[in-house]
Amino acid sequence: MKLKTKLIILFILSIISIIFVYNDYFLYSTPIVKIINIKEEKHNNDKDVYYNQEIKGIIQNGKYKGSTVKVTNTTSKSGVYDEQIHKNTEIFVELSNDGTKVNSIIGIKRDKYLVILLVIFIDLILLVANKKGIKSLLSLSINIIISIISIIIFRNNYKTINILLLYIIISVLFIILSLYITNGKSKKTLSAIVSSIISLFVSFTLSFIIIKIFGKDITIWTMEYIEVIYDYENFFYVSILLCGLGAIMDISITISSALNELIEKKPKIEVSYLIKSGKEISKDIIGTMNHVMLYTCYSSIIPLVFLALRNGMILSNALNFYGSLELITVLTSCISIVLTIPISLYTSIFILKEVRK
Amino acid sequence: MITLLSIILFFLLLIVGKSRGVKTFVTFYLSIILIITYIILMNLGFNAIILALIVCILASCISLFMLNGYNLKTLSSFISIMLVLVLVFIITYTIGKLSNIQGFSSDSVETIGGFSYLINYDMTKVIIGMYLICVIGTIIDTSISVSTSMNEVLENNPKIKEKELYKSGMNIGGDILSTTINTLFFAIISSFIGFFMWHKNDTLSYIINHKVFAQTIIELLLSFIASILIIPITSYISSKVLYKKKLIKDE
Repeated sequence: MKLKTKLIILFILSIISIIFVYNDYFLYSTPIVKIINIKEEKHNNDKDVYYNQEIKGIIQNGKYKGSTVKVTNTTSKSGVYDEQIHKNTEIFVELSNDGTKVNSIIGIKRDKYLVILLVIFIDLILLVANKKGIKSLLSLSINIIISIISIIIFRNNYKTINILLLYIIISVLFIILSLYITNGKSKKTLSAIVSSIISLFVSFTLSFIIIKIFGKDITIWTMEYIEVIYDYENFFYVSILLCGLGAIMDISITISSALNELIEKKPKIEVSYLIKSGKEISKDIIGTMNHVMLYTCYSSIIPLVFLALRNGMILSNALNFYGSLELITVLTSCISIVLTIPISLYTSIFILKEVRK
Repeated sequence: MITLLSIILFFLLLIVGKSRGVKTFVTFYLSIILIITYIILMNLGFNAIILALIVCILASCISLFMLNGYNLKTLSSFISIMLVLVLVFIITYTIGKLSNIQGFSSDSVETIGGFSYLINYDMTKVIIGMYLICVIGTIIDTSISVSTSMNEVLENNPKIKEKELYKSGMNIGGDILSTTINTLFFAIISSFIGFFMWHKNDTLSYIINHKVFAQTIIELLLSFIASILIIPITSYISSKVLYKKKLIKDE
């Protein structure tokens, strides 16, 4: 019965939040237009099909709520750069002073899709993992809050602050808080925190030195948003630092809790046996962890490399210009993962065994 | 640079993982070749979504059977991964079609400015395919962790009932969930700081509805959802498969 009530409450809350985000026009000061009618004129280019759209829509908020306006838009079948507007799409627009004409389309309203996915995510995590799910959500929210704070700090001081130094400090904060929240106060957590920090410093220093010395051919200029960062070299190091951070924590806590379990079952267990079983455990995680990093990070090169190929660029150039930074990030993350294993193995044994004495 | 890093990775894997490390290195590069082949085939005009599903199946085969060997654990993981892939595909396809996140935004104008935008290929399909490939790694990782641990539980405790075995799978899954979410969060968010700097003077409402923001957050949430969905499904299938094997053995 208790579970049933919880499920019903969860269900009702989910529905309410989705209904809310479908009607949240009043939250926005920018005028929103909901499309009710589209007339399309098809044009065949020798390479592609594109459409000139005559769009009719109703304003949903602000002073001119309820009135109908017309907009024109050009869209292509490929949709590389343009916005594909359909019936019921909601768009942000800039209105003329008297509210009868649309000066320009600012963008598409996408918030509801994010909220739908967020609701699915929260519902699923609570259903599947119950209390552990709440802990995961808590640790995730704290990570998000720290990220936002770090961005605000950087944003307000971007001309003077050293971004790399800032994010090294933030990374240590990330490690301590997320491991502490999800695992509670214990020797296990302490050893995971210490080994994560050591692993992060060792592996990052290694990558840093290698790239500093041998990285003259790196195409940092292809990195997105590079133009706004004064200190673009350090900006690249920050993405290397952060990319493998979660994986380092993952391995540290896995190894330290496995060793903790062994020591708790047999307090007089020998160090050589601990090392041996620690190595066995790490062999199991090493492979799939590397694959997680690869698929998660390297997949992001797909659209850009594809666009380059479609434009007739040869494969090696396309991969070099638009895929090499991601590959470097993935490789350095994998190096961190592999380095973390022996580091956290010996650190954990030291802390768990020493503190016991 | 990439060669140098690869060589370092190879030797580290060799020292730490021995023969298993070498296998990891080989499958790692096979997966890279798989992703590059995917882009080449797309360029030849094949359907990006169907190709992505094939890539996901091949990726699971590489990670499961080549890296972890062919046995009941990996077999039940494989079945579970295929089921989750179908579910994730349905969610990804719906959201991808509706939310207008294909292609690039005006932020990328410097990068893609020299290219023609009329390429006669639907970019919606490209981004849906990209999402599918993005989540497959974490699905495989979580699934193999759960089924391996369940096998361990069964071996240490042969009298366990099927339902209890399922429950222990769910329990293990819950334990690894928070670290998985952490890993994905940092891997995906690490390249995101630049976006906020670019839009440092824009309003919150503009940022939330921005194409790049939506692309990244949808990627993040989809990979979270996928790594949660795989837990009950692997627990269920593994408990069925492993328990049946035990029953046959007992007879």
